[in-house]
Amino acid sequence: MRAYQDFREFLSVLEQQKQLLRITDPVKLEPDMAAASAAATRLGNRSPALLFSNVAGYQNAQIVTNVHGSWANHALALGMDPETGIRDQFLEFVRRYRMFPGQLERVTSAPWQEVVIDKDINLFDIFPLFRWNHGDGGFFIDKPCVISRDPDDWTNDDVENVGVYRLQVKDRNHLGIQTVPQHDIAIQLAHAEARGEDLPIAIALGNEPVITLMGATPMLYTQLEYKMAAVMQGQPYRVVQNEKGLDIPYGSEAVLEGRILARKRQPEGPFGEFPGYYSGCHQYPVIEIDRVLHRKDPIYESVYVGRPWTELDYLQALTTSAPIFDQVNATFPEVQAVNALYTHGLVLIVSTKVRYGGFAKAVGLRVLSTPHGLGYAKVIIVVDEDVDPFDLNQVMWAISVRVNPAGDVLMLPNLAENLLDPACQPSGMVTKMIIDATMPVSPDIRGDYGEILETPVGTDVWLQKLEALTKELRK
Amino acid sequence: MSAIAQGAIQACPRCRSNTVAVRAVSPLAGVWTVYGCDTCFYTWRSTEPETNTDPDQYPAVFRLAAADLPKLQVAPAIPPLQAKKP
Repeated sequence: MRAYQDFREFLSVLEQQKQLLRITDPVKLEPDMAAASAAATRLGNRSPALLFSNVAGYQNAQIVTNVHGSWANHALALGMDPETGIRDQFLEFVRRYRMFPGQLERVTSAPWQEVVIDKDINLFDIFPLFRWNHGDGGFFIDKPCVISRDPDDWTNDDVENVGVYRLQVKDRNHLGIQTVPQHDIAIQLAHAEARGEDLPIAIALGNEPVITLMGATPMLYTQLEYKMAAVMQGQPYRVVQNEKGLDIPYGSEAVLEGRILARKRQPEGPFGEFPGYYSGCHQYPVIEIDRVLHRKDPIYESVYVGRPWTELDYLQALTTSAPIFDQVNATFPEVQAVNALYTHGLVLIVSTKVRYGGFAKAVGLRVLSTPHGLGYAKVIIVVDEDVDPFDLNQVMWAISVRVNPAGDVLMLPNLAENLLDPACQPSGMVTKMIIDATMPVSPDIRGDYGEILETPVGTDVWLQKLEALTKELRK
Repeated sequence: MSAIAQGAIQACPRCRSNTVAVRAVSPLAGVWTVYGCDTCFYTWRSTEPETNTDPDQYPAVFRLAAADLPKLQVAPAIPPLQAKKP
């Protein structure tokens, strides 16, 4: 466990760990940023962050991508050994998640207050903005932490919200924002708009890595992301409160202060989105920026979104799995782990002990009734506790030998689904499926299962020994 | 500005409106210019491929008609105004 002071400290650690690659060759914003970042996602489990410092048209701009873009970087973000496997990262993430809440630490100043711009703001001049995908409607800020409060409960810290929402830069000081109705900020915006008032917001860019993960976690409305970040890093979370009362991370590179304009909508999009398809173009809310604060020579961070897997899939991997596990396990303590790594949990694998015949199907149904299950989980695969849901070789084995489609596949027509899932028919509706890949137990007497092969005695000891030896061999 | 004045940029590549403005020029002079459309809010850089910058080569699948913009789905819906709270 470790608390990073700021974004730059984390980049330094990535560099020390050989998980950051400095690109000093000249690059063009289009298409090099997208091409290099897409290529980085194909480098495997040790894919590094990319720091570009020779950007066409700029004297000294720095752009960093793929910061969370590998299991090694994800582990380092959580202060863990970069070699930590996915299942162990999941178990540790859940352990900390269940220690909620931690504490806020309010301080009066932060490095991002070094430079203040409050007139003639031009976001295009301040940040090296660029297009990610060819059909995107413009240049998007896509890895921000957007901070807001509830106008109907303004001083209640627990309903303050930190969320990662895509922002299209519309002109010099206006942004479009995607706030789908399930998002917490949509509740706050509805309260402000019912009053006919603008919603004050702060947008933090280039953040230390934990708060970005928390902003991407579908927590409850009354759970403050900073208090979850505090238990994730093992220390109170340091923030600076601005004049409006919004708490802003101490460790950010830049902060945009502004308002979501009441009752105003403008064309926004398309944008290449997490399912690997472009979103459509909609009339979305508009933000007006009143003030920009930043460190000298701010490092601009962005996340490439393309056909999975990309950095985005790491951002919404364990952050999606842990809340679902926590909610399902509270009802069914037999549930061992949840793997919601695939496309924000559109496909999801649950491992569970099976108490009696039909139990696994009930577990699958419970997943569908979690908040995330209502709008995302579409294909649920339930496996026994002896199958690691994070090891697809094991999952495919379970499906191979423990599924008889005649009795193990449940189709549930016309359930709610996120609009961004292109398989919806009509938009927002889909048929969902539960695959029971557990071995039938009494009174479910289907199949002809004899004795299962056992793992040889001493395998675990040998595994540790061989891992150490192979590590030595590769030094 | 000069590019518009010279007629190099006449219409938005996506919606063909004539509401195009310069958003920024490169800090190192002469490398690129960023343009934006005040009707559909499409944004592009002068150094991008013509399929991003030229209305005639912009992909049909991404084109928008200015007249259709008000018909786009509104999300989230705008709630009714409440009576003023004390």
